[in-house]
Amino acid sequence: MKLLTRYNQVNIISTTVIFIITGFIYYQTISWILTNQKDKSLTVEEDEIFEYVHLNNKLPQIFQSEDQQITFTEVKNDSVKRQFIDTEYLKKWDNNNFHKHHHKHKNHYEKEPGRELITYVKIGDKLYKIQIIESKVETEDLIRIIFVITFVVTLLLILVLLLTNRLILGRIWKPFYNIVNQIKQFSLAEPKEVQQPETDIEEFSELGTAVTLMATKAKNDYTNLKTFTENASHELLTPIAVINSKLDTLLQTENFNAVQSKILNDLYSAVSRLNKLNNSLLLLVKIENHLLNKSQRINLKALLEETESQFEEIIADKRLALNLDLHEKEIVANHYLIEILLNNLFTNAIRHNYKGGKIQISLTAESLIIKNTGINEPLDENIFVRFNKSANSEGSGLGLTISRQICENFKFTLNYRFENGYHCFMVNF
Amino acid sequence: MKILIVEDETGLRESIEEYFTGEGNICETAKNYTKALSKINLYRYDCILLDINLPDGNGIELLKKLKDNNHSDGVLIISARNSLDDRLDGLNLGADDYLVKPFHLSELKARVTAIIRRKSFNGSNILVLNEITIDLLAKEVKVANTAVKFTRKEYALLLYFIANKGKVVSKNAIAEHLWGDGIDMANNFDFIYSHIKNIRKKLIEVGCADYIQAAYGMGYKFIEE
Repeated sequence: MKLLTRYNQVNIISTTVIFIITGFIYYQTISWILTNQKDKSLTVEEDEIFEYVHLNNKLPQIFQSEDQQITFTEVKNDSVKRQFIDTEYLKKWDNNNFHKHHHKHKNHYEKEPGRELITYVKIGDKLYKIQIIESKVETEDLIRIIFVITFVVTLLLILVLLLTNRLILGRIWKPFYNIVNQIKQFSLAEPKEVQQPETDIEEFSELGTAVTLMATKAKNDYTNLKTFTENASHELLTPIAVINSKLDTLLQTENFNAVQSKILNDLYSAVSRLNKLNNSLLLLVKIENHLLNKSQRINLKALLEETESQFEEIIADKRLALNLDLHEKEIVANHYLIEILLNNLFTNAIRHNYKGGKIQISLTAESLIIKNTGINEPLDENIFVRFNKSANSEGSGLGLTISRQICENFKFTLNYRFENGYHCFMVNF
Repeated sequence: MKILIVEDETGLRESIEEYFTGEGNICETAKNYTKALSKINLYRYDCILLDINLPDGNGIELLKKLKDNNHSDGVLIISARNSLDDRLDGLNLGADDYLVKPFHLSELKARVTAIIRRKSFNGSNILVLNEITIDLLAKEVKVANTAVKFTRKEYALLLYFIANKGKVVSKNAIAEHLWGDGIDMANNFDFIYSHIKNIRKKLIEVGCADYIQAAYGMGYKFIEE
C-alpha cells in the first residue's frame, strides 16, 4: 500500500468520524436549544391560562390556532404531574389549507412532531388537566437544513482533501520515487552515478544525499576490491613465470627416472592450471570493468568455422560427430571476447563429452545453440556461478562465468537447457 | 646471435640466459632500466628481450630510444600486463613481438628465432637444416628435393622443434603453442602424440633422419645429429 493511500485512508476515516461526532453534538445542542425555546413559549401560554383562571375563576375559552392546541380535562385529585413531553401534533386542515395540500386528501389531520406541556389548574374543588401542544415542525426543518448543510460541507471537504492529496502530494513525492527508481537501477559494475533529485523538501534532499553517498561508497569499495583482485593477479604472474621457466630449465638437465618424470609432469600441470585460473580472474575483472569494449563487426559464421578448425584434431581424437548448421550472422562486439566465448563453449562441449559422442552447433539470426552429449542428466543450476565445476573437470571453474559475463556485456543472454540427452547452451542475440 | 635480456626478476633472467646460451648464442643481461640503457647505447643486438615494468623506468621508453636512434635491433616485449592497449602500443612503437608472462622458454625461443630470422635473412626465407629445407613464405617443406605435405599444425610444430633444437620441449609448451592460451585443452595430450607420430612418419618416409625423440614422457626433443 502506498504511503499516500494509507495517509488518505487515515485522513478520510478520521475526518469522517470527527464530522459525525461533531454533527451529532451539533444536532443535540441545536435541538436542545430549540426545545428549550418551545418549552418557554409553552410556559408563557401556561402563565396566561393561570392568570385568566386567577382573574375569572374559570377556564378560558379554547380557540384553535394553527400551531397550538390546548385541551382541558377534568381529572381526579393528584393524578397529574407537571411535565414537558415530546408528542405528536395533529394538525387540522381547514378547507383552504386542504386545497393547497390536496395530496393529504384522505385525512383532515396530519401528524407532526410536537412538544406538549402537561400541567393542571384548580378551579374551586375541581382539578383540570391542561395539555398545551405546539408543533415542532419548524424546529425539525431547521435541524434538517443544518444537518444537510453539515453533510454537504463534510463531503466537499473530503473531496477537496482527496484531490489535494492526489495532486499536490503526488508532486511532492516525485523526488522520492525518483530516488527509489535510481536505487532499483543501481549497479555496482556500471559507471552510472546516482543523481541527486531536485527538491526543496528537506527530507527528500537528505535522503538523496544519503543514497548518493552510499552509492559512491559502495562503488569505491567495489573498485578497490576489483583493483585488489587485478593487482593480486598481476603480482602472481611474475612468480608463476619464474616457476614455469625454472621447470623448463630443469627439464633440460639430463636423465630423469620415471618417478621424477611423473613429479615434473604433475608440476607442469599444476602450474599450467594456476596460470589459467589467474588469467581467467584477470579476464573477468577486465570484462566487469568494461575494459575490453572496442567493438567491431564480426562475421559469426566465419569465426565459428575458424574456431571449429582449431579444435578439429581434438574432435577427431575423441571421435566426436560434429554437426554444423550455420547461417550468416553478423554481430557487433569485441573480437577478442567473442573468440573467448566460442572457445569456452567449444571446450566445454568437447571436454564434457564421451568418446564417440555428438556435438550439434546451429547458428541463426536469433541465436547460437551448442548441443553436446555427455552425462545423461541435467547439470546443476549453479553452473554459471564462479568456481562451480563438476568433480572430474580439469577446468578453472570460471569458463561459464566468463562466458555469461561476455554475453551480458553485449546484451546477449546465455542459458542452459537439458533436452533429449543433449546439454544445450544457447546464446540469444 | 647476440641477445640482451632486460628483466628485473632474477630467477626469470637467469633461466632465460641459461636457455639461450650455447649454440653460438651470446647472452647479456640487464636487471634495470639504467643498465639496459647504457648497454643499448654501446652495443647492438640481434634481439632484445624487454620487460616493460622495470624498477627504475619503463621498457617502452627504451624501445622509443632505440627507434629514435634508428637502431634495428629486434625487440620482443615481455610483459605481465596482458592488455590489448599495451600490446598495440608496443607493436606500434616498433617492437617485433609481444609475449605475456608467464611463458614457456621454448615459446620465447621460437619467437626470438623468428624475429632474428626475419631480420637477418633479408628477403631469403629459406631455412635449411641438414637435409630439410623449409620455405618460410610458401610454408613448404622439402627433404632432399622431395616435397613433404604437412598439415598447418604439423608444420607449426616442426618449426617450433627446429627453433628449440637440442632442448626438451614440454607437452604443455607444445599444446599452448599450437592452441594458444584461449583454449583450455592443455591437459589432453593424446593428440600431441599423434601429431608428432605423423611428423616423424612423413619425414622418415622420404628418407629423412629421425630427429624427434621422446624425452622421459614429459616432452620431445629435436636432435640435430
